[in-house]
Amino acid sequence: MAKIELKDLRVSFGASPVITGVNLSIPDRSITALMGPSGSGKSTILRVLNRLIELYPEAKVSGEVYLDGQNIFDMNVLELRRRVQMIFQIPNPIPNLSIFENVALGLKLNRLVKGRKELFERVKSALEKAQLWDDVKNRLDMPAGKLSGGQQQRLCVARALAFEPEVLLADEPTANLDPENTAKLEALFLSLKKEMTIVLVTHYPPQAARVSDYVAFLYKGQIVEWGPTKDIFTKPRHELTEKYVTGRLY
Amino acid sequence: MTAERKVEDITAKRMLINWLGLGLFALLGVAAVVPLFLIIGDVYIKGIDAINRLGGLWHFLTELPPTPVDERGGIGPMLVGTLYMTALGALFGIAVGFPLGVYIGEMRREKFANVARAGVNILVEFPTIVVGLFVYAVMSLAKEDLNKYLLDPLSKALSPLGGWITQFIGPLDGFNAYAGAAALSIIMIPYVALITASAYASIEQPLREAAYAIGGRDFNALFVVLRKAVSRAVVTAALLGTAKIAGETAPLLFTAFGNTYYAPFTGPTGAVSLWIWYAAQTPYDVLIASAYGAAAVLLTIILIIFIVARIRG
Amino acid sequence: MLGFLLVVLLIPYLIAAYGLLFVKLRWGLRLFGAFIVATIGLLTAMFLVEAYPIIARDGVAVFLQTRWDPVRESYGVLQALAGTVLTSAVAMALAMPMALGVAVTINEILPARWRGVFGSLVDLTATMPTVIYGLWGLFVLGPTLQSLVNALAGSTVMTTPYTLFTAGVLLAIMITPYAAAVIREGYSLVPKPVEEAIYAIGATRFEAVLIKLRYVRNYIIGGFFLALGRAMGETVAVAMVVGGNFAKFTTNIFESGITISSLIALQFPNAASYQYMAPALFAAALLLTLFGLAINAVAIYIIQRGQI
Repeated sequence: MAKIELKDLRVSFGASPVITGVNLSIPDRSITALMGPSGSGKSTILRVLNRLIELYPEAKVSGEVYLDGQNIFDMNVLELRRRVQMIFQIPNPIPNLSIFENVALGLKLNRLVKGRKELFERVKSALEKAQLWDDVKNRLDMPAGKLSGGQQQRLCVARALAFEPEVLLADEPTANLDPENTAKLEALFLSLKKEMTIVLVTHYPPQAARVSDYVAFLYKGQIVEWGPTKDIFTKPRHELTEKYVTGRLY
Repeated sequence: MTAERKVEDITAKRMLINWLGLGLFALLGVAAVVPLFLIIGDVYIKGIDAINRLGGLWHFLTELPPTPVDERGGIGPMLVGTLYMTALGALFGIAVGFPLGVYIGEMRREKFANVARAGVNILVEFPTIVVGLFVYAVMSLAKEDLNKYLLDPLSKALSPLGGWITQFIGPLDGFNAYAGAAALSIIMIPYVALITASAYASIEQPLREAAYAIGGRDFNALFVVLRKAVSRAVVTAALLGTAKIAGETAPLLFTAFGNTYYAPFTGPTGAVSLWIWYAAQTPYDVLIASAYGAAAVLLTIILIIFIVARIRG
Repeated sequence: MLGFLLVVLLIPYLIAAYGLLFVKLRWGLRLFGAFIVATIGLLTAMFLVEAYPIIARDGVAVFLQTRWDPVRESYGVLQALAGTVLTSAVAMALAMPMALGVAVTINEILPARWRGVFGSLVDLTATMPTVIYGLWGLFVLGPTLQSLVNALAGSTVMTTPYTLFTAGVLLAIMITPYAAAVIREGYSLVPKPVEEAIYAIGATRFEAVLIKLRYVRNYIIGGFFLALGRAMGETVAVAMVVGGNFAKFTTNIFESGITISSLIALQFPNAASYQYMAPALFAAALLLTLFGLAINAVAIYIIQRGQI
């Protein structure tokens, strides 16, 4: 059974439809990429998966989304967000809180740990996994806003990993990073996929080709084609897909 | 099993705290606004009743105030005083406040502009009684010479125009309407200035550059081209500032002082707010009633200005 | 002569400044800036001059003693100082929670359609004439509070409706919109990415509100000081409900008292009859001005420091 199933998902903002009927199965323990030109609705789909779309009252959602067979709209949203974490295009640590606090906050709010020692261990291991621990171990109390862009993004990754989530949603996470940090993050994803399902939104087809196991091509709110990455990139069935992966469609 | 149950319990507890906490915030927010309704209700209920008892609306607006033994009365002289001083005060408040606001809003890079801005920030929250005291001090100091060298000769020169001139121009007493208007304008100037400044400051850079390019002269750029962009905020500021000074009492205590008769503006002048201040603290029912009636009138004036400002803005 | 020069130069100065706007705009604008700076300078100077007689005679004793004995020309404003502090403390303790409530209610709880109306109601609360607040306080709030407090305490704690506590409660209602305006502005500036992050890590709405409030901490502090400055300077409403207790020093908020600003308002009419009363009142005004200045400077500094 797929980790996440989307059935006839439709999303509109006020009168404008953004997602017009999406069906998708996202397999477990793998990286699925959502690619497509800007405005195709990729980020919107992602925000449905952890119900962050509910922050936008103008957004109307219909259709069904299943996590391990359970409808996410019937779940308690707090439980959903414990299992499904997200990292964003623009790194968004809470700047006035310390580095430690940023990673710890989610754990504390959701009572995921007992006692300071366990909290510290969890935070440390999350920061280690995100490859930020060595950089910050001596200044955990520093406000997170003072880190560089690449470090802030890794902090956000640590924040997400601290939950030991089942699903990691990544919304163009390397769009604002330099090549070195991009490569580090991509390597991290490849190592993480053994433990969790990753859904990666990207507007850069080569990234999808490098990193993902499955890829879905989204165009104007619809899935044009999806399947194993190798197949899509070498033998695309749809003309649009072919144009997109060869860079002739934006 | 137990772990799941525990998680559910914790979540339930958090949701409970969520509702209680948000409910508390909502309660506090509503509590902040409830007195408004209580006050407006109280003023209108007692005020309209008082106006009716004291002679009906037209009489109330034109007659002299009641003495403790009267049964009828009005706020005629005070209403005239309020209208005159508020109009003058607002005139200067806008006339000086607007250019000042342009200065501190547009020429922010100058050091002096920042000094002026600090000055405006200081003045805007000055206790209004201090402003009144200041004008009083200046008035007492300048009165004699001002009358001797300027106002006596001026009023003599203007006397051929008729006796009515002495209502407006002439030698000033220590307490007079112009001192009151001056105090009111000192209160309104920083208020208008700050809103003008932030209206100009919030113009996006591209628009500003375009304005300077099209306008040629600075004057054209700032006041002609950008006029539309800022006029809404400035007009709102002018209206709200006028409402604010119409209701002020403290600055008039030592400048206009108050008057229960129709009298020249060169002497002590009444104001609706001053009358409320005075009459409410007497032990006489008829005076207290007239205070409520006056309050109803004042409140109506201010509500009208406020609603007009909100609709336009 | 000095006064005369001042007033006579005023109109030509303003006309010149206006004229200059059309010829050399920037210099014209600078003249307006100079006008405001000069006004403040003049104000400080005049107060120092007017207060001088009593400071020369008594030194700082006028600020440190409690006395109001016009016949013996002996004045001290310590009781007024205490009154200002106490009424402000009561007012702030009640106003800050309400201001936070307003900010959260507008930004988080109300549906979009109602936000404008509610915000306007709060703004209207700020625009209401203070003398009308005083009127209501005199005839409605005072007696109601007296009944309420005495009922809750089971004994006659408030012997009169007009006490420092009454003034404090009335002030709280009047200053809440000022703090609320600042906090509202800060709250609305929380960036969307930060908000998304807060919810993505599984915060309830209430928990998110607390995190956001911490984020806009600077605005809350700024709003605090702004409201405090306003509370300390409020004159008319306080004067009408505070009880007019000029000569006795008290720290019991349920007793009648006096504040610096209401002292000035209530005693100034008598000042012409005595030699040192007016200087004493000017000295009190000077103190009030300095306090207000300090507090507002702190408020502005804190708000601006948060705008990195």
